[in-house]
Amino acid sequence: MTSASVERTASDRSLNWQRWRRRHGWTVGVWILLLLLLIWYAALIPKFGTFQITSITKNSLPLAYLAIGQAVIVIAGGIDLSVGAMMVLANSTAAVYMDGRSLGMAIVIGLSVMVGLAILNGLVGWIINVSKVPDIVVTLATSFIYAGIALLVLPGPGGSTAPGFRWVFTGAASGTGSNFWPPLAMMIIPTLIVAWFMRRTRSGLSLYASGSDLNASYLSGVDTGRAKIKAYAVGGAMSGLAGLATIALTGSGDPRFSVGANATLNSVAAIVIGGIALTGGVGSIVGAVAAAVIIIFLNPILVVIGVDQNTAQVIQGALIAVVMMIGGLLELRRRRQE
Amino acid sequence: MIETSPLLQANQVAKRFGAVVALRSADLVVKPGEIHALLGANGAGKSTLVKILSGVFAPDTGTIRIHGDLIQPKRPENALRAGLATVFQDPSLIPDLTVEQNFRLTGVNIGSVRSWLERLDIDLDFDLVIKEIPLETLRMLDLARALAHDPQLLLLDEITAALTANQAGKVFDVMQMWKEQGRSVLFITHRLAEVLAVCDRATILRDGAAVAQLAPKDGGEHELLEAMLGPEATRQVESASPRVLPSEAPVVLEARNLHSKGKVNGASLQLHAGEILGIAALEGQGQERLFDLLSGDRRPQQGEVLINGRVLNARSPYDAVSRGVVSVPSDRLLALLPKRPVKENLTVPLYSEFGQWFTLARGEDERVQRSVDRLAIDTRAQNQVRHLSGGNQQKVVLGRWLTSGFNTLLCFDPTRGIDIQTKRQIYALLREIADEGAAVLLYTSELPEIPLVCDRVLVLYDGRVVHEQEAATANEAILLSKSHGLVETI
Repeated sequence: MTSASVERTASDRSLNWQRWRRRHGWTVGVWILLLLLLIWYAALIPKFGTFQITSITKNSLPLAYLAIGQAVIVIAGGIDLSVGAMMVLANSTAAVYMDGRSLGMAIVIGLSVMVGLAILNGLVGWIINVSKVPDIVVTLATSFIYAGIALLVLPGPGGSTAPGFRWVFTGAASGTGSNFWPPLAMMIIPTLIVAWFMRRTRSGLSLYASGSDLNASYLSGVDTGRAKIKAYAVGGAMSGLAGLATIALTGSGDPRFSVGANATLNSVAAIVIGGIALTGGVGSIVGAVAAAVIIIFLNPILVVIGVDQNTAQVIQGALIAVVMMIGGLLELRRRRQE
Repeated sequence: MIETSPLLQANQVAKRFGAVVALRSADLVVKPGEIHALLGANGAGKSTLVKILSGVFAPDTGTIRIHGDLIQPKRPENALRAGLATVFQDPSLIPDLTVEQNFRLTGVNIGSVRSWLERLDIDLDFDLVIKEIPLETLRMLDLARALAHDPQLLLLDEITAALTANQAGKVFDVMQMWKEQGRSVLFITHRLAEVLAVCDRATILRDGAAVAQLAPKDGGEHELLEAMLGPEATRQVESASPRVLPSEAPVVLEARNLHSKGKVNGASLQLHAGEILGIAALEGQGQERLFDLLSGDRRPQQGEVLINGRVLNARSPYDAVSRGVVSVPSDRLLALLPKRPVKENLTVPLYSEFGQWFTLARGEDERVQRSVDRLAIDTRAQNQVRHLSGGNQQKVVLGRWLTSGFNTLLCFDPTRGIDIQTKRQIYALLREIADEGAAVLLYTSELPEIPLVCDRVLVLYDGRVVHEQEAATANEAILLSKSHGLVETI
């Protein structure tokens, strides 16, 4: 009797382990990949210390925020091609209005920019609902609008922010230093807040639900229209935060269109590597953040091993393709086993 | 005793989708403390009525009252609040969320769901993701969720279709309990035996209107069937001249003991050259899957498909097509290239014949024109197939196979939603095809057409062939009672 019950718990445990691996395996895998890259990088350079950790963390912040925003929208069954443009708009607006202000004012302005973009992009979600025009078309259009407004607000690179504000994101008033706690906290706290919102609140679950099966969600009594608005509002707020991070990093505003376009593409790459299905309903915020750090972190690694900028692009693209193929193969193998 | 006021009263509810009238005028009265059956043939409007009652879509006209109060459910939440909880025909749980997350999402009391599941004898780990759970358990989960809302009226749309007899028994126990508490159940099923066993009254829909209200226990099956069939069915079927098949006609397509994931459970059939073999079945008896297996879209878990005596090991429908077995699905737009012209659609199967240097040989234009003429395709809107009418689209699907040639045609409900004249043309065409020596397997949801079109008919029930006879002598009553899984005919 005892042996039978032991056996059962053993098989239960292996079942639980299998289930856990299936659900979280990808997220953990991405984090392990990041860890391996860090170890490799540490071995490559003569001295690896707090300066490098600070630098990697702070430089990853903008893309990490964009990836979180994009992840929320894609999980809810949409896609937003305007996250990069919103980041640029937030950056330009903040650079103009924070110029010469105190830290307190800068924070108030920063929060207003985030709230404003949340409302604006929530409105975009509403328009997509009502017009039934595909997400990709509407957000492509709004990306041009946001980018245009950014140039109206700030015609060329310029503006500035409070030194204290730079410290919040970079750990130093000058933007350069070895104090990694502030940037690390700025990465972890928003990630945990959004991850908690997505997994633990009814609102967050309704986003997973509408991305997973719109019809079943509707029949279960989920307000699928409101879910889309919420997702786009979160995307807007996170893009705003990304804009604030960029101004803290560089110390001034940059309204150029190409900055935003690149950032948008990287955000999609990050969520895909992070294990979020473009079809919606599947994936975790935490995985997307790790993937965002990997994408940014790839640059210093390639510089150290002496790969030039153009080849670096090829390698980045190849990495995305390889990771996606691994995902496809794992899925195929699992189906075979079933 | 005081006359009880109705719990639910729906008056003259009507709904149309585009040109299709789903409900003409449905009346439904459910009293408190009764189990009420809603019956009707395929397409009679049962599911539409359920979806209107549960707020999935609003009726065009008509009123719905609960305890005399007018309600206008615009969304499923409204109906829930008014005391109507529904178990829909399709599972309405979110596939990528866990059981627990699903309940948290909709704000259902998890403790209450748990206790209902215990009552239903379901032992379930709430940490499982929905898509990992078998269908019959999901149906019970759907039921437990509906019960946890503690509704006045429980609507069950085809819940027993996916359940085992034992589980169905549990559902009936719950229905009985609901009744004893003075609340009511609206029960939809294709299984008349269940209606006779558990239902107090029944409302019968035919062609989108309520045609009868009766007590099943008094009248029995006969009365129910008669009400569902309508007076037309009793009139003599004008039968096509019964054809005598040469018994030595070779078997071109054979299915041996096919099994597929509980949908097809041991189906066997033989299709001879030159015959039209009809398949009759109610919704959800495995007919879709059977056609998928025969057309090479899926592989059977057990059993085999033989084409001209050789086993079909299909990787994709292409393998079946290359051996002369072609399909006409009921959803025409699935088979067509909706935004391409008629001509291209007709020549699609020829692409592989031409190899990679696709050019239409001179003779092909002629072949296309012959198909268009033969099918009498109305080509006024020929630049984009999606602008053709449904009937003409279906003709294009047939025509593409005529252009390329085949020896076996699998038709899955080819006349769904098609006007009567086009229907006749399609049936005449099928007959012509058979006369030329090809074999036709035809599933149709319209039972009266089987004796008109087919030579032989098989009845499918629960994934098995349960009945076979000459089509000419198969009237609707026989087919319907066999389709309901009844052993004896009336």
